[in-house]
Amino acid sequence: MTETLLQAAMSGLLMGLLYALVAAGLSLIFGLMDVVNFAHGEMMMLAMYATFVIWQATGLDPLLQIPIVAVVMFALGVAVYRGLIARALSVQFNTGMVQIFVTFGLAIFLRGAAQLVFGGEFKSITSSWLSGRTVHLAGIYLPLPQVAAGLVCLLAFAALLLISRTEFGRALEATREDRDAVALIGIDRDRIFALGWGLGAAAVGIAGVMLASFYYVSPNVGANFAVIAYVTVALGGFGSLAGALVAGLLIGEIEALTAVVLEPSLKQVGVFAVYLLVLMVRPRGLFGKL
Amino acid sequence: MDRRTLLMAAGALTLAGRAARAAEEVVIGAVYPLTGNGASVGLDAKAAIETAAELINGTHAPVATLLGKGGGLAGLGGAKIRLVFADSQNDPQKARAEAERIITQEKAIAIVGSYTSATGATISQVTERYEVPYISADNSSPSLNLRGLKWFFRTTPHDIMYTQGTFDFFADVGKKTGKPVKTVALFYEDSIFGTDSSNVQRKLAEAAGIKVVADIKYRASSPSLSSEAQSLKAADADVIMPSSYTSDAILIMKSMAEIGYKPKAVMAQGAGFQETAFLTAAGPLANGVMSRSSFALDAGKTRPAIDPVNALYKAKNNKDMNDNTSREFTALMVLADAINRAGSAKPTDIQAALKATNIPGDQLIMPWKGVKFDETGQNILCNPVIQQVFDGTYKTIWPFDLAAEAPVWNI
Repeated sequence: MTETLLQAAMSGLLMGLLYALVAAGLSLIFGLMDVVNFAHGEMMMLAMYATFVIWQATGLDPLLQIPIVAVVMFALGVAVYRGLIARALSVQFNTGMVQIFVTFGLAIFLRGAAQLVFGGEFKSITSSWLSGRTVHLAGIYLPLPQVAAGLVCLLAFAALLLISRTEFGRALEATREDRDAVALIGIDRDRIFALGWGLGAAAVGIAGVMLASFYYVSPNVGANFAVIAYVTVALGGFGSLAGALVAGLLIGEIEALTAVVLEPSLKQVGVFAVYLLVLMVRPRGLFGKL
Repeated sequence: MDRRTLLMAAGALTLAGRAARAAEEVVIGAVYPLTGNGASVGLDAKAAIETAAELINGTHAPVATLLGKGGGLAGLGGAKIRLVFADSQNDPQKARAEAERIITQEKAIAIVGSYTSATGATISQVTERYEVPYISADNSSPSLNLRGLKWFFRTTPHDIMYTQGTFDFFADVGKKTGKPVKTVALFYEDSIFGTDSSNVQRKLAEAAGIKVVADIKYRASSPSLSSEAQSLKAADADVIMPSSYTSDAILIMKSMAEIGYKPKAVMAQGAGFQETAFLTAAGPLANGVMSRSSFALDAGKTRPAIDPVNALYKAKNNKDMNDNTSREFTALMVLADAINRAGSAKPTDIQAALKATNIPGDQLIMPWKGVKFDETGQNILCNPVIQQVFDGTYKTIWPFDLAAEAPVWNI
């Protein structure tokens, strides 16, 4: 039993790191401009397809694809902001609803487009440097693709934290706190927003690359992860990177342990029970400032 | 001629035109998940059903099967079948609404469907209300034909028949190899398919004196199944019996391998495990996996229509027919045969013809004894086969007289 628990805890930890990085992008965008990106899961799905397509065409290992896909996703994030979100924000009435519908519509569009282009089939990357490799350590099995994914997620988090220390990061923080005041001190709000979307998309893109190295790819794959990402963001506190990390790990662990200790079909119940509990005690989330 | 006469004449002409067209074509609806999580199966189903319609409607060399001569339905003066597809998105409520739409607006006189049992349950309620036949091609939940419906006809075996076949295989292979199954682990998704399937498995295991050492119900389409894999490993049963759709089938095989667990035997309740996507994605991990099936692509010797029909399908969809697509193909053939015999597009006539159906096995592409419905609408002549994956392809291993390969049995 101890071995089973330890193994489950380890699986939860690795999955949790991935959940955290998916949530980080969402949290960044939400914290910056109060827009919930309902197409976040679909952006991850696109990154996974990009990884699959590049792998299929060139055989390039997913690990080496990280910078390529991150840049592509960054550009996509900026494009989505400039093409859709900025326009939706300029609507004069019912802004909240318009924002919801624009990202929701984008999600459905991307899912349909992916099915049109790639078909409804489940695809997967069948060979990479790490695929199928597992290390056996003190009674616990560590699948290397997941370990690599966990490490990359940690690195991406470190990078995001570093970025938040730079001048750009401070501008980001200032825009978050008072989006009208920053215009007065010469910060281009529109540019900050666009870069924020780029960063958010790049973060979820990196998560997508790593996920694609051991998970199946299909037009709907994002939806399963998106729900968890929304919970992670709310649990960790809107806009907080550290919150996303802690909440992601927490959710990974609760999910894995509920499944072993109670029953697998109850694992989401476990996650949502803790989520509701935290919201009752601390409505702004674990690390939320608002 | 005043305006009113003119209008009436125009109306009469339109009606006459419609009647004439009705004699030329028979509209049949098909509800499948064409987008969403089940899309990969639904799009294959669409191709399979279209293949059947082309075989019936088209001009081609005769194929040794029901209505294999082509040229439309002879009983209706050569009327052609026109298919109307509707997308259930694998959602029972959407399936209900779409079934209603194609009956009332597209004037479908029968519906074929629908992959998941949960959608089959709602569609067959609609067809019952509108009094048109529902042909269940591939919904395998045993409860579906026990609801007292008069318009429900199921060509496929249900999970009790499949599971009975599975346990018969266990007994046979145990006798043959001297290695009987002592323990099984049940692993099933949490919708009607998985729960019904596991209920039957539990009952039959008990009857056969086989111990159920793990009973794992999981949430379908979870992002991770590693804890579930962990529980399966801890139980280490002789045979793992999963009832899963494609995405979960891929994920559980990978998750078990990741924690260094190689199950002694896997005996799947068809569904996702029979999909090409599963075989490709799981790669070498799929080798040795067994599954019940109602189709045997390698049974061309006793079923001469398999090869030409498969060639037609392959030309369209670039893959071989499988357990699901062969049953979807067969459902439309059986329905078309009934309409042809009825010689009428009236639902009550078709219902009567369906009840009188008695098709011998050699007229089908399936390894079944035939098609004949009991009073609940269940085909009673469809016996399942057991298949095993050899180098990425399913080969028939049981019943032993139909087998293409000897089973690999290492429990």
